Amino acid sequence: MEKLKEYFNIAIRNIRTRTLRNFLTILGIVIGVFLIISLLSLSEGLKSTINQQLQSMGGEMVMVMPGGDEDIFSSMMFGGVKLQPEDMEAIKKADGVDEVLGLSYTGSVVRYKDEAKQAAIAGYDPWKEGLEILSFFQGWSIAEGRWPSKGNQILIGSHVTNEIFSKKVEIGSEMVIKGRRFEIAGALNSLGSKQDDSMIYMDMKVYQELTGEKRGTAAYAMVTLEEGVDENVVAEKIEESLKETRKRRIGTDEADFSVLTSEKMGNMVDTILGIIQFVIIAFASVAIVVGGIGIMNSMFTSVKERTKEIGIMKAIGATNSAVLSIFLFEAGIIGFVGGIGGTLLGAGLAKTIELYGQAHPLFYFSASITPGLIIFGLVFSFVVGCLAGFFPARQAAKLKPVEALRRYE
Amino acid sequence: MPEPIIKLENVWRTYQLGKIEVHALRGLSLEIFPGAFVAIMGSSGSGKSTLLNMIGCLDFPDKGKVYLKGKDISEMSESHLSQFRGEILGFVFQEFNLLPNLNAVQNVMLPMIFQGVPLAERKEKAERILERVGLKERTFHQPSELSGGERQRVALARAFANDPEVIIADEPTGNLDSVTGKMIMETLTDFHKKQGKTMVVVTHDPKIANYAEQIVNIEDGQIVKNHSIAKEYLWKN
Repeated sequence: MEKLKEYFNIAIRNIRTRTLRNFLTILGIVIGVFLIISLLSLSEGLKSTINQQLQSMGGEMVMVMPGGDEDIFSSMMFGGVKLQPEDMEAIKKADGVDEVLGLSYTGSVVRYKDEAKQAAIAGYDPWKEGLEILSFFQGWSIAEGRWPSKGNQILIGSHVTNEIFSKKVEIGSEMVIKGRRFEIAGALNSLGSKQDDSMIYMDMKVYQELTGEKRGTAAYAMVTLEEGVDENVVAEKIEESLKETRKRRIGTDEADFSVLTSEKMGNMVDTILGIIQFVIIAFASVAIVVGGIGIMNSMFTSVKERTKEIGIMKAIGATNSAVLSIFLFEAGIIGFVGGIGGTLLGAGLAKTIELYGQAHPLFYFSASITPGLIIFGLVFSFVVGCLAGFFPARQAAKLKPVEALRRYE
Repeated sequence: MPEPIIKLENVWRTYQLGKIEVHALRGLSLEIFPGAFVAIMGSSGSGKSTLLNMIGCLDFPDKGKVYLKGKDISEMSESHLSQFRGEILGFVFQEFNLLPNLNAVQNVMLPMIFQGVPLAERKEKAERILERVGLKERTFHQPSELSGGERQRVALARAFANDPEVIIADEPTGNLDSVTGKMIMETLTDFHKKQGKTMVVVTHDPKIANYAEQIVNIEDGQIVKNHSIAKEYLWKN
């Protein structure tokens, strides 16, 4: 152990003397690790955001969304096709369905006092029963104020209360949305998802008047179930009922809607994000491999340059394993330092995107920078360094002292 | 008769230079006894560097045997030999061969690191040896900040670090002016006299050879003359 510590110190001194070359080599690793850390933390963040969203939907519910399975994400993120009043009726008719709650949302500028900010407004139908359903199934609760009872009253999410405006929003004060004044009746406790917490909730009728959307349409519907029924069975019934309605209405039974149980949603999210992460890892790995080749190249050059030094060390008693350790440490340290740089930059970028890169008011990027990810970044880069350094180090260790000494004579 | 500390037995060493085979050593035998001061002399190309590599156990013979303290080095593992070499032999080279990234005291400590000497002990010892070779005020200087003579004295201190039984010096004064060279040779002689260390010096300079008690002349890979010098001949320079 004592010896290894000394070899480590020697390795550090050696690295310090070749500053520029080592800096460039380290840079190669920094870029690779930077890519891995920033992309993985963002995709992990995306995954946890969506999972939170699913969790907050509760277990015993079925979601109905317009658009087929394949473009469910685009319709969830960016709106698009809507459910028609006939569709809502069809869902209600299906066996096992208790209540159907239609919901629409969009981004809008909201004025509070002298500030105008981008926020999301959402309309619920039916308004009063909907709130009951939401408080019962989804655990909505009032943090301050009361449940709204009139059309010009609104309910705000906790993020709206505390974060969006520079001052905390006061209950009972006024908010202006698209030129219309609303009274803030109550503020919700956090719903567990930043997206839901950033919404301003109102009656669907008022919402439609504000946005000019057609009467009775919804971006998606939440369906509560009668007691004791299986969510998968009900999901099938809803699907049948919807198909029938569509067939009658438009003459096709093509399923351009999706009926999702929370389980199915979860699986879909996992699959899609799994693929995304796989692709990210594959591309970032290429960068890391290139960085590793950089280390290998630099170490081979180093071994060539220091052939004589190696000969001297062997003459004065260095064993093969001593030389091997010194060179492996050098490569490992280069990798590790690159790992630290890459992790810091990657985490920095991910955080910056989280703070400033909110491209869509309804969709929050959050960066998930876990200790596990950081440890992974550091250990991984150290291992890459050691692997890349192995062949050069072995070449150094195998040098015959006499050959190494003679080479410069 | 004591047992020789280094023994070469019918040693052959052949180099392949392109298509030509060069016999650097041709069946050479030599015994070096503890406490001896041997000068190996020969012109360039005589095979004296190859001989030095054999004596220093840095190279293996193609034919014949080399024994270090009675042990056949060809039967030792490479790691064991390195360890053994670091313990028993100390090297001084013509071009000093200090590690450029380490300062004087770190260079002196290096052989002790390879022998696993604890930090406090090796630091104390390295500083003591540096003081003895007159480099106390240069302890923390980098090799690039030292003069040639100072570098060679650091190299001497390094060679003495593990209390080796044999010091092997390859043209130790070859890159130095005569005054500095003399100082180096006197330090070496001093170690030999006071501590009874065995010295093997390779040189082509007769003045340097005059410090020795035994002179081995080598020509075309063979020993042509191996004789002791009468005591009164010593120190006449």
